[in-house]
Amino acid sequence: MIGVVTMVLTDSLSVGMIRQMLTNQIGADAGYIQIHKKGYQENPTLKNSIPDPGEVRAVLEKDARSCNISERLRTFGLVSSANNSSGVAIVGVTPQSEKRVTTICKYIVNGAYLSGNTDEAIISTSTADKLKVGIGDKVVIMASRLDGSVGSEACRVVGIFETFDSGFDQSHVYIPLQTAQQMVGAQGRISEFVINPADAKRTDPIADKIRSDLPGEFEVLTFKQMLPLLVMQMQLYNETIYIFYAIIAIALIFGIVNTMLMAVMERTHEFGVDMAIGMSNKRIFIMVLVEALYLGVVGTTIGFLVSFAIYVPLSYSGWNLAMFSESLKWLGVGTIIYPTLTVSSLTNAIMVIPTATVIGAIYPALRAVKLQPYEAIRAT
Amino acid sequence: MPTAQSIGGIMESNNINHEIVRVEHVRKVYQDNGVPVNALRGINLTVSSGDFSVIAGPSGSGKTTLLNIIGTLDKPTEGKIFLDGEDVESKTRRQLADIRLRKIGFVFQAYNLNPVLSALENVEFTMMLRGIDSGERKRRALALLHELGIAELAHKRPNEMSGGQQQRVAVTRAISNDPRLVLADEPTANLDSETAIKLLELMEKLNRDDGITFVFSSHDPQVIERAHRLLILKDGQIVTDKRNS
Repeated sequence: MIGVVTMVLTDSLSVGMIRQMLTNQIGADAGYIQIHKKGYQENPTLKNSIPDPGEVRAVLEKDARSCNISERLRTFGLVSSANNSSGVAIVGVTPQSEKRVTTICKYIVNGAYLSGNTDEAIISTSTADKLKVGIGDKVVIMASRLDGSVGSEACRVVGIFETFDSGFDQSHVYIPLQTAQQMVGAQGRISEFVINPADAKRTDPIADKIRSDLPGEFEVLTFKQMLPLLVMQMQLYNETIYIFYAIIAIALIFGIVNTMLMAVMERTHEFGVDMAIGMSNKRIFIMVLVEALYLGVVGTTIGFLVSFAIYVPLSYSGWNLAMFSESLKWLGVGTIIYPTLTVSSLTNAIMVIPTATVIGAIYPALRAVKLQPYEAIRAT
Repeated sequence: MPTAQSIGGIMESNNINHEIVRVEHVRKVYQDNGVPVNALRGINLTVSSGDFSVIAGPSGSGKTTLLNIIGTLDKPTEGKIFLDGEDVESKTRRQLADIRLRKIGFVFQAYNLNPVLSALENVEFTMMLRGIDSGERKRRALALLHELGIAELAHKRPNEMSGGQQQRVAVTRAISNDPRLVLADEPTANLDSETAIKLLELMEKLNRDDGITFVFSSHDPQVIERAHRLLILKDGQIVTDKRNS
């Protein structure tokens, strides 16, 4: 039972944490699909932005009709106040469409999200603290222009946001798209299209369709390609979890060996009588294994019941890990973890636990069949 | 004189002169805290079909050891055992278990019924080991319990029965697979004299009417006086072997 509870809860919390990291990253900035000019992913500069997005818009009109789409201009520069300055990624967005593909608007802790006025900006809590600015204060945003000169805009802080990822927060500032284009002399240019399908499972087929309809000068990337480290982390977890299962199985086997050995020793007399009346070694061996299997099945069933009793409320309320908030922010995970139970968690527990109990019973079963009938009958 | 026995539809022909057990020069030495103990010193005997034999003797004379060796529960240090003409020395543990299942029935001093099974299930158990299907073995088991006068105990568990009743169920279990031989190790030791007599009368009836061969080990005078053949062991040797007329 303990093995099942450990496996199910650990797995569901781990999967939940990783999925939250992925969802947070996708929701905060990456989106499910992005379209750039080819080469932008390796070298995200203004020169590699899309000069004429009309062609892309036409394809998206056909292939991504059910999706939410946003257009961005991204560059790198400085945000400054009278007190301090900070290097940031400056992201020019169209607020109404950006709200449909990212979740930054939900992380506003002070003020409001961009409304569309050209002199607005939203910055993170950490940036606001560094610059010593608040809502309504002016900041100067500066970046290199397309022609190589320096451009700047004065913006008023209308909103302050704080996401789960402190690293992300420190490095991003959002301003209206037109303001960004004007500041860097890139009118009409777009760095990236961000596309979120209505059904996330349709990401790959939609990306493939767009990719096949767009000319070769564009690159279409899914979140798996944009967040390779995170995806690799998930794959690594999916593979290394078996090591964890193996550790649990080994611990379980030792426990079962001990339990079944005790049972066999206590039933020495009974086995002796069974042998005397004609029970073969094979039957005795199988009997001990089957008893262990029953033990495993009953333990697994009870373990599942206990696991569900813990998992269901946790899946709604989440598990508050505020004491680890700093570390979790660096990982891009919130302080509340919502466990996620997968079919593989359940099937793995169903396979591992009873199998381990049977394996653990092999040695005690061998001890049972090695008993000498006349000695076993005399045992009390 | 040959007789036919029929229990549950299986026919068995017993020729009174047919040798069921032959023990040749059997010695048994076992280690007791590193000290060798000669439990049996050169035993020679035969048991014929239909015998009602008692192996008597004081404690430590080797009665139980001899019974265990005849019943293939133990192996002799030297000598040979033949069951139904077959030398059991070369048999594997699986083959010996099969011999015990098909040819030998055991009755123990402490009854040794399975405590979680009813009387009926205890009797069915050995038939189940033989692969007899559920309906058939239930029918046979009920018939046997009825024949032995304990049909009313069919659905009772051992803890709901007296010692005498448990031993009767044990006898029923012992004969359920139509064995060639029933070995009873001190079957009356835990019973009062009245119950012991009734049990012995039951076994005599099975021996007389159905030709079942019995070999007892006992030091109970009530058992000894009923023996058709009495073997007395002393210090691991047969000192007396006589047939009562």
